[in-house]
Amino acid sequence: MAKTALGCEPVVGSLSSSKKREYRVTNRLQEGKRPLYAVVFNFIDSRYFNVFATVGGNRVTVYQCLEGGVIAVLQSYIDEDKEESFYTVSWACNIDRTPFVVAGGINGIIRIIDAGNEKIHRSFVGHGDSINEIRTQPLKPSLIVSASKDESVRLWNVHTGICILIFAGAGGHRNEVLSVDFHPSDMYRIASCGMDNTVKIWSMKEFWTYVEKSFTWTDLPSKFPTKYVQFPVFIAPVHSNYVDCNRWLGDFVLSKSVDNEIVLWEPKMKEQSPGEGSVDILQKYPVPECDIWFIKFSCDFHYHSIAIGNREGKIFVWELQSSPPVLIAKLSHSQSKSPIRQTAMSFDGSTILSCCEDGTIWRWDVIAASPS
Amino acid sequence: MVSKASDSGTKPRKLNGEQSNEGVGNLVSKINLLRKQIQAERNSSVKEKFEKNGKKVEDHVCQLLSEASKNDGFSNILLSRIENPLGKFSAYVQGSGDKDGIYGHELSSLVGTKLPYTEKLPPYTTWIFLDRNQRMAEDQSVVGRRRIYYDQHGSEALICSDSEEDMTEPEDEKHDFSEAEDRILWMAFEEYGSSEDVQNIVSQFVGGTKLEIQERYKFLKENYEKKQNKNLKNSGDVGTDKGIYLDKTLSAALDSFDNLFCRRCLLFDCRLHGCSQSLIIPGEKQPYSLEHEEDGKPCGDQCYLKLSKFNTIKASLECSDIDDSNGVKRETLREKEESMGSSSAAELVIADHSTGIAQVHEQAIPSSSKGVDEDPQCHTSVIGLCTEITRKCKDIEKEITPPQDPKLISDDFAGSPVKKQKILLSPHPDVSSKLEFYPVIVDAAKESTFSDSGKLGFSGSPSSDKTEDLIINEEEDVVVIPASVQTSNNTGEQGTMRDEGNVVAEAHKEKQKSNEIAGERMVPICEWKPIEKELYTKGVEIFGKNSCLIARNMLSGLKTCMEVSSYMHDVGPSISNRSGAAPSSCLEDNGNGDMDHATEEMPTKTRLLRRRGRTRKLKYSWKSAGHPSIWKRIADGKNRSCKQFTPCGCQFMCGKQCTCLRNGTCCEKYCGCSKSCKNRFRGCHCAKSQCRSRQCPCFAAGRECDPDVCRNCWVSCGDGSLGEPPRRGEGQCGNMRLLLRQQQRILLAKSDVAGWGAFLKNPVNRNDYLGEYTGELISHREADKRGKIYDRANSSFLFDLNDQFLVQYVLDAFRKGDKLKFANHSSNPNCYAKVMLVAGDHRVGIFAKEHIEASEELFYDYRYGPDQAPAWARRPESSKRDDLLVSQGRAKKHQ
Repeated sequence: MAKTALGCEPVVGSLSSSKKREYRVTNRLQEGKRPLYAVVFNFIDSRYFNVFATVGGNRVTVYQCLEGGVIAVLQSYIDEDKEESFYTVSWACNIDRTPFVVAGGINGIIRIIDAGNEKIHRSFVGHGDSINEIRTQPLKPSLIVSASKDESVRLWNVHTGICILIFAGAGGHRNEVLSVDFHPSDMYRIASCGMDNTVKIWSMKEFWTYVEKSFTWTDLPSKFPTKYVQFPVFIAPVHSNYVDCNRWLGDFVLSKSVDNEIVLWEPKMKEQSPGEGSVDILQKYPVPECDIWFIKFSCDFHYHSIAIGNREGKIFVWELQSSPPVLIAKLSHSQSKSPIRQTAMSFDGSTILSCCEDGTIWRWDVIAASPS
Repeated sequence: MVSKASDSGTKPRKLNGEQSNEGVGNLVSKINLLRKQIQAERNSSVKEKFEKNGKKVEDHVCQLLSEASKNDGFSNILLSRIENPLGKFSAYVQGSGDKDGIYGHELSSLVGTKLPYTEKLPPYTTWIFLDRNQRMAEDQSVVGRRRIYYDQHGSEALICSDSEEDMTEPEDEKHDFSEAEDRILWMAFEEYGSSEDVQNIVSQFVGGTKLEIQERYKFLKENYEKKQNKNLKNSGDVGTDKGIYLDKTLSAALDSFDNLFCRRCLLFDCRLHGCSQSLIIPGEKQPYSLEHEEDGKPCGDQCYLKLSKFNTIKASLECSDIDDSNGVKRETLREKEESMGSSSAAELVIADHSTGIAQVHEQAIPSSSKGVDEDPQCHTSVIGLCTEITRKCKDIEKEITPPQDPKLISDDFAGSPVKKQKILLSPHPDVSSKLEFYPVIVDAAKESTFSDSGKLGFSGSPSSDKTEDLIINEEEDVVVIPASVQTSNNTGEQGTMRDEGNVVAEAHKEKQKSNEIAGERMVPICEWKPIEKELYTKGVEIFGKNSCLIARNMLSGLKTCMEVSSYMHDVGPSISNRSGAAPSSCLEDNGNGDMDHATEEMPTKTRLLRRRGRTRKLKYSWKSAGHPSIWKRIADGKNRSCKQFTPCGCQFMCGKQCTCLRNGTCCEKYCGCSKSCKNRFRGCHCAKSQCRSRQCPCFAAGRECDPDVCRNCWVSCGDGSLGEPPRRGEGQCGNMRLLLRQQQRILLAKSDVAGWGAFLKNPVNRNDYLGEYTGELISHREADKRGKIYDRANSSFLFDLNDQFLVQYVLDAFRKGDKLKFANHSSNPNCYAKVMLVAGDHRVGIFAKEHIEASEELFYDYRYGPDQAPAWARRPESSKRDDLLVSQGRAKKHQ
């Protein structure tokens, strides 16, 4: 990465914990021996704010966080293909707001599970290789976007089962896509990142008619005129290695590579010349021992704080929107040694879940919050 | 400590008289201070940004929350499960047992709902369909780029090109100065002077070489001074943006055309041959056949032929009217009249301007009006207008003061910033000596109403120029159906007036130029803009001296036939027919020859994804012994070298300098040389064979027939309803199938062998053309690099296109291609690939080796060299991809 010029340096957070909040382990589950790659709370339906899903191996499990550290198992799904290894899971819902769990993994098939009826709703076949991340459009929760090893990002409609857009081609990623995220308010915009070391911001504004069409499509899904979006509106050379997670924070982007830090930056686009622009790196959130890839971070519903695990089983919780960044807490436990692949923060950030390489789920609850 | 403005803190010191040589001792501390200040400012600016963004985030969250709360009371199983979970795992109780020991809940026994088995697709990388080959865009190159790969089984492998080939960051990377660095630099130099020491210190803090710093300082200083000046003057020089191309020269106007239009594919932005191809001007041109145009009928109301009949009357009138004008002038006038009968009254006026302005136009106007129309009604109206004109002209006359010293005026404008514009505008040889009078006219023009202002700049004398314009307009009023743009100017006289101010101002500046050319022969073609002149020249090149055609095709809307005709007459001898472009382009092409060849390898740039300025250099020298990776070869077996063709720019005959000759390619129809060039491929004369056997010279040479070159190969258009070209041979040529895209429908499906496969929809016979193998055209070097990556993934779509030992191409269908890229390898194939030269481009056609039934899978022999074939390719039933790989364990980076 190029040396940052004088006067454009990012504000780097200090690793000395402010002890603003304290978390303690309240539960631990062992799901099996296969690594767990993803854990995610349901943020799209207030009825299920305390419900979360995990994936690992060929299994998808739905849990609920109850008071006092209790975890209830609600549902469990097992893919008949033992070779399947799910890497990602997301919550979505049908237009009648039936809750869906959407999972994808090594087989490249996106499984739309109807959690409201405990059965498979659809399976999306189309990706040419494994699926590394699935995210849901929070304002239109029947739209999902998937990032795949086949170098493409695809937009799907879970309601009608249509692949609407494929973000790939002349300006697309040149290696596996590892992460993708919807812009929180600008429905047209997504950001994706991957093994080609870039973060790309795409706009589907010109293709929005297809998105609308997908909701009313009655013919066979395969007959839908799927479009290629070949050129991103912005390519950010923020990292110099695999970029394995990115999320929007307002109009800023949080992304991480294998450099022991999460970077917050502002894309400065040139409206006239798409594809060009500059990046203003605003802040850095150091995360020690976080130098392997496929470690994903998560935020609470309000984007107040961000939690990320590391290679050694520790979790770092940062206050997201203060400048300079404040380390809220550093969570560690003598038995938590395995790399944490993903964390999930509850609606208000009071509970943090982590899923680990060794197949364990850890629940951490806040025990004392300082007055502020 | 933090002051508001960076410079405010430092300025007073300077005013106190602290000098630069006072020592640089405290410079360091000062810079540090400034740095801290900058840092603090940065921090607060980040904070500010955060606050702004934070509000946005809050809004988003509110929206999301309301969206999430929109739930109806539909009950579902998930809700009921919340009531009755499958199991509950109580919390770990604090303080029980040993301190950190947590007993985990085992869940592995949980029985779950089955997700039915779904067959997965064979792996592939998302690819874009191409119906024709594309040259690789520059930003798609992997050469010199760090690539990181992991192997399939667990541990991470870092492959950033081979170690010896490892590239380094370019050393001469230009330092980009940030705003803050500028501030430090500025402060240091302003306060301490630009001594060596200061430079050293600054370079330490700011980075960049001393030279760069010096340059930057100069740049900043200039900017600063400019700003100062601007503040002082604050004079807004309004750029006169005159629309489209009328102000430019022809070559400038055609720039985008020349650069972006591919003359081989006849389309803009050609992805195969790229933009900025060297322009080849053919040495011989087909003469335009004038047969059906020369019918002697006037082409319109403004045709020169129409005018000729008035000539006699006109001439006589003028003779009597311009009695008092000087004799020589009159003679020239007459000559004009007699020769083409096209010179308008307006020009007469110009020619005569020296004799006295008022007088001349008083005479000239009636004469022209009489000449053009004898309808009494029109006549009176014309006269009415004329009187008005005379009145105006008199007004102008009053305002005309004796000419000022031209030198003085030009000095006034020497420093004007509009110089460039001026040069563009000025039609150098034709500017007449009288332009010196302009300063006076500027004022006059602003007050009076005149049309077609653009002409002003090039007209002879101020007063006559105006009258001339008016007269032209009057003429058009009289003529019932005006044919040109000028009419609109007439009707909207009021509107055009506004522009006029600008244009006259421009013309005004031109007098400087005119001084230099003063004394040159006065040519009455003043109102021709440079672009019009160039268009005219082109027109003569194409159509010969046919003013009707030139006016219609080249200058439509700009000039009438009459004007063209008169112009033709006036300039006639000076512009020789078809001589303009040829010799110069010949020279140019010869000079460029070598360069063209060298740049041939240069990939095209995509418009959207221009890499940022940095160019990476490779330290190593590239050495390649053959193909290290799996490349498909042509099944031909023979070592026919296919060399990339680049049209040569030779004129007439190709000599030793000819790039085609040196490359070992034939000259093609795109070359500049003449048809009789000895290096040309002459096509075939096949009569009945349909060019499907080696008897056809085209077929034998691995070329498709070209209807432009071969004698009997022809193409009919459409369904024949438009009429067919004269039949030149027996049947339609069978050797133009790639050119005409007479391909079979290919289907993509799961292969019977492995992975994906290509299948045929309809049955075909032996040697039938199935389709083209398209892809990205990449250099061998690029292919080498990509090959290594592809080999790692055990999947390669590289296809040798032409000779490897010269700078030639490889086709890569990995990310761009068509369905035929999925046809599998077989040592007993039913298809074969053949490189064909189609209109100068090498293309890979896939042909049937035998009769193939419908929905059969297609195979062809990739022709791996014995050392190239990977292990799996040697297996009896092999595929080219990694579909047979045993397990694809997730690669992840472990500790």
